[in-house]
Amino acid sequence: MSKSEPVAIGVSNLSHTFGDFPALNNVSLDVRPGELLALLGPSGSGKTTLLRAIAGLARPDSGVISFQGADAEGLSLRDRRVGFVFQQYALFRHMTVADNIGFGLRVRPRRRRPTRAAIASRVAELLALVQLDGLGSRFPDQLSGGQRQRVALARALAIEPQVLLLDEPFGALDAKVRKELRQWLRGLHKETGLTTIFVTHDQEEAMELADRVVIMREGRVEQVGTPAEIYDAPATPFVCDFLGHAFRFSVAVQGGSARVLGADVATKLADGPALAYVRSHDVAVAPVEANGVAARLLALRGSGASLALEFALPGLSAPVEVLCPRVNVAGEDFVVGADYVLTARAAHIFPAP
Amino acid sequence: MRIASSVTGESALVKYLLIGLALIWLAGFLLLPLIVVFVEALRQGVGAYLTALVHDDALAAMRLTLLVSAIAVPANLVFGLVASWSIAKFRFRGRNFLITIIDIPFSVSPVISGLVFVLLFGAQGVFGAFLVSQKIQIIFAVPGIVLATIFVTFPFVARQLIPLMQAQGIDEEEAALSLGASGFRTFCLVTLPNIKWALFYGVLLCNARAMGEFGAVSVVSGHIRGLTNTMPLHVEILYNEYNFVAAFATASLLALLALVTLGLKTLLERRGGRDVKI
Repeated sequence: MSKSEPVAIGVSNLSHTFGDFPALNNVSLDVRPGELLALLGPSGSGKTTLLRAIAGLARPDSGVISFQGADAEGLSLRDRRVGFVFQQYALFRHMTVADNIGFGLRVRPRRRRPTRAAIASRVAELLALVQLDGLGSRFPDQLSGGQRQRVALARALAIEPQVLLLDEPFGALDAKVRKELRQWLRGLHKETGLTTIFVTHDQEEAMELADRVVIMREGRVEQVGTPAEIYDAPATPFVCDFLGHAFRFSVAVQGGSARVLGADVATKLADGPALAYVRSHDVAVAPVEANGVAARLLALRGSGASLALEFALPGLSAPVEVLCPRVNVAGEDFVVGADYVLTARAAHIFPAP
Repeated sequence: MRIASSVTGESALVKYLLIGLALIWLAGFLLLPLIVVFVEALRQGVGAYLTALVHDDALAAMRLTLLVSAIAVPANLVFGLVASWSIAKFRFRGRNFLITIIDIPFSVSPVISGLVFVLLFGAQGVFGAFLVSQKIQIIFAVPGIVLATIFVTFPFVARQLIPLMQAQGIDEEEAALSLGASGFRTFCLVTLPNIKWALFYGVLLCNARAMGEFGAVSVVSGHIRGLTNTMPLHVEILYNEYNFVAAFATASLLALLALVTLGLKTLLERRGGRDVKI
């Protein structure tokens, strides 16, 4: 990222340990104004700790966080104007939905506090925005998970935050509601234009929703980029493996290319041993007469729109799973126990460790 | 064929036998003594009952009991809140130790609790010489009674709050702070409403024990009529003097306190059960 681009939130050299466990290890990140950024990683990768540090809920051991270029060190939780949506929503259970949403306005110092009527009309606006009109007098335990999530969002938006932070926003919801809310959140982001950061361990969610994705692992940033960038050009084997199931081969690079699963793949690596990662759906399966690597079909599973074929490859201890769209294989009869030929359509090559 | 009365398959006979036994047990050990207290108190009529209650020494004992619980209960309310807040919301060294020592008054005989204060503050005690030189009297005086009562009753509020606060976590407090509320407003608007029923409940139990405490108070009080006699001590003195009507009249007030406590407790559990989800 070039230096001239504006930065809404700057994170530089942030480190944080819990006891002996390094939750954040020298993390630096620039968040652009108005973007929807995903922090993606497996559990324990430090993504939630980073989000909480930005919000001011966690005090990092070292490093600097800045808002609009100004150091946030001295800013308390209250002064950061950060809208934080908690993983379990953390709605105030003894208050109605309307009181929950209006909370941030009611607790302002008297000088800046809106009138009762102004708060009520703002709450009504927000209820409409999150499509919960008419539910203002309900209590949180009378709402569904998806509705609670939207109340939490409206409550965070009420304080007119300069940035919206969401911790695993869809973690506690079932698959269908999750999908609907995802699209709705995308629309809301477009409407409000608010700089938004959300944490997720679901790569599909991150890729579908975010403008840019930050992949984290063991307290470090592995790669930052648009979903297409990180998918097409993973910077590390970890990123490659994390975004879509991949299997690994030891290969030899010679003259700018390596032979991976019956195909020649170009690489900038120097000659020598290397590791090639092939994603499950980047493998072509053909009858045994074709060119490629022979493999025996061990098992066959149908899952929705695609078929999962499990092959035993000579020289690999674990079976290899290949995904093909169901339409491509219709009419073909795969026979478990028969031999086929596999060819890599694409591969990512990394230096051998 | 008869269908068994429940899935576990006891016959109706076993069921009624068990229920009957439980009821007889309760009646014999709990209800009967309660009835006896009131019957004995009213044995010589309402006039004698009321005369016994308005006797100077009886009134002094009531005043002292009210005074002691008026100090001990608020003190333990504050202590209980602080202790359970720290235990439930912070992680620190010695946290488990704190949880353990809160329970000491439950596990130690009240007589020992009283004795500890005598050993600390009595004329021959650790601070005895200093207290005598400053002309401060703690043992065989009201301060000693208050201290012993605070000691004996201090787990009640904390014990009610700790599990509830631990279950609730700190998410709501964090949310309130991130929405711009001050620490004090967060406490008043978020923390307190979430624990109010458990808090009432703890205070209620704490008060019942504070007013009824005998052992610890007996050791430090010195039994000076009209000065350091609380109601339970007053009952004992009257009883030892064979003044049964007066003894049971005072005892009936304590029994009444127990009944009111029980009633309020039931009410609170009903309210609390609805409002507070643990």
